Amino acid sequence: MRIVVAEDLYLLRDGMVRLLEAYGHQVVATATTGPETLDALLTQRPDVAVVDVRMPPTQSDEGLRAALDARRRLPGLPILILSQHVEQLYARELLADGTGGIGYFLKESVFDADQFIDALERVAGGGTAMDPAVIAKLLSSGSSNRRLERLTEREHDVLGLMAEGLSNQAVGQRLFLSESAISKYTTSIFGKLGITDDGNNNRRVLAVLTYLNKP
Amino acid sequence: MRQLVPWLASAAVGFVRACVVVVVSMLVPAVWAAAVGLWIWWWGGNPWPAVVPFIWACIGTLALSRPVCRMVRSVVAERTGTVIPPGYRKAAPVVRMSTGYWWNGYSYERTSRDARRDQRMRLWWSDPATWRDLRFAVIAPVTMGVVAAVPPAGVVAAVVGFGHPAASMRLIGVLGVAVAIGAAPYAWRAVGPVSVRFLGPSPAMALADRVDELTAQRADTTVAQAAEIRRIERDLHDGAQARLVALGMSLATVERLMQTDPDRAKALLREARAGAATSLTELRDLVRGISPPVLTERGLVDAVRALALDSALEAAVSADLRLRLDPPIESALYFGVAELLTNAAKHARATRAWISIAGHGTDVVVEVEDDGEGGAGVRAGGGIDGLRRRLAVFDGTLEITSPAGGPTRVRMVVPCESL
Repeated sequence: MRIVVAEDLYLLRDGMVRLLEAYGHQVVATATTGPETLDALLTQRPDVAVVDVRMPPTQSDEGLRAALDARRRLPGLPILILSQHVEQLYARELLADGTGGIGYFLKESVFDADQFIDALERVAGGGTAMDPAVIAKLLSSGSSNRRLERLTEREHDVLGLMAEGLSNQAVGQRLFLSESAISKYTTSIFGKLGITDDGNNNRRVLAVLTYLNKP
Repeated sequence: MRQLVPWLASAAVGFVRACVVVVVSMLVPAVWAAAVGLWIWWWGGNPWPAVVPFIWACIGTLALSRPVCRMVRSVVAERTGTVIPPGYRKAAPVVRMSTGYWWNGYSYERTSRDARRDQRMRLWWSDPATWRDLRFAVIAPVTMGVVAAVPPAGVVAAVVGFGHPAASMRLIGVLGVAVAIGAAPYAWRAVGPVSVRFLGPSPAMALADRVDELTAQRADTTVAQAAEIRRIERDLHDGAQARLVALGMSLATVERLMQTDPDRAKALLREARAGAATSLTELRDLVRGISPPVLTERGLVDAVRALALDSALEAAVSADLRLRLDPPIESALYFGVAELLTNAAKHARATRAWISIAGHGTDVVVEVEDDGEGGAGVRAGGGIDGLRRRLAVFDGTLEITSPAGGPTRVRMVVPCESL
């Protein structure tokens, strides 16, 4: 895959580039500031981009804003946001346009390189990938808590993994269950929560996230 | 002869100063004298029309009292170096409200000019300093005015006396000269004690000033604290936290490369180990920047000794302080010394420094001197200014002398009950 890496700290940029290259991907451009990131995203049109939230010149959310901006101009441009802390607020902003190709991860998710590359490929394919920490926050926040009371513990786990962006097959692998067992769970979950399932994995994830994000 | 010339010079200077003091302190009596003169000359001393010049004189006194006090204050500050705080109430900002009217802290006015004028009048009327000024305008002529008038009066006596042929009058002339010359170097000095006694702020005004000062300090402290917390967050985010992430990333890459390219994997592992060591150093430095462990463990004197050992300068520490101070004061002084040493090495290009820490009565005095180029000044918002503000929180002071060419000498004094 052709990848753009936007990260202002040399150590992390360098580490990320080496990791991606070790997995046989090609880093076509790196950026160290918000404006550079936007420029690289628009000119390179990468298969996927890895973007840090906090970057110069303001050291605020420059990277996040560059990503949102680029996606406004090139809808569906796959971007994976990496950050040292995750906020539901940012997750909401990233998911707001309803198109796929979005990932939002803590930087340490990179430690499990196989899963990270997996998520990156999912985002590049137009899917959604959310850090377990984001999903955990979504599932435990006050308003979701009440609505999810009707789910069994197992259903709760399946919903969480599904919200991270995993397919039925991948969820099954994580929970050591068959794909058909998972699809029984999902049907039951959707029935209880009143979400329509049209079989498209990404649309399903977005529906789940939208449901969880509902105030 | 050798002593006579400077003495005469000081007498001449003193004479001029005495004249200035007389003119300034006699302005208000001159207005009254003019009013009385006008009354006698124009209305022939009739009691009823006296009201008119009386009102004029009152208005003149009210208008002149504040300028007179201001002049006396500037004379005292210039000639004796004693700064008497004016202690006038400060005007609140005049702001436009959403209704379009202007609020001056007392009332709403249609235009900003009206608002300002109204505010000025109210401030003038309600300010205790106004009444103090009036009192001073009455006291000044009969105290320092009279004393300072001695040399000019002597000169007048000399002129009159020598202009008259009679011998007794000449004697008066000679006496006049003697008095004028003898009193000239001293007569003007009455202005100092008199104005310190009567022109200084009253306890209520001093209290009001103190409240203003404390309010400003509280705001400063809050801002400084917020800035410090943000610095720590930034340091952690870009430093230790980022290094740990990089470490994990390297290990993930190593895991992948283990099978395909073991040599590169080994090189990466070495880098990762070095990275772990560096992040530990950074964390240690950060902790030291927040609260130096040696300060907690051993107190100010040993912490400054440790600082001197680590400093780029050859720094000598002499200390005469047995007791531990309050932790916040220790911390402020410690970071003060650290900042001064950094400045000395970085800006003044000094090679040596001397630090002394001593207790004088209930004050802790810390002095830092270097052999650098000097030329350090107190810039608003600069490092020294920040240091002064941090000390001011404890009612501490900072004096700096730093002529171009050096050396720089800084003296920090903080009162401390525990001494």
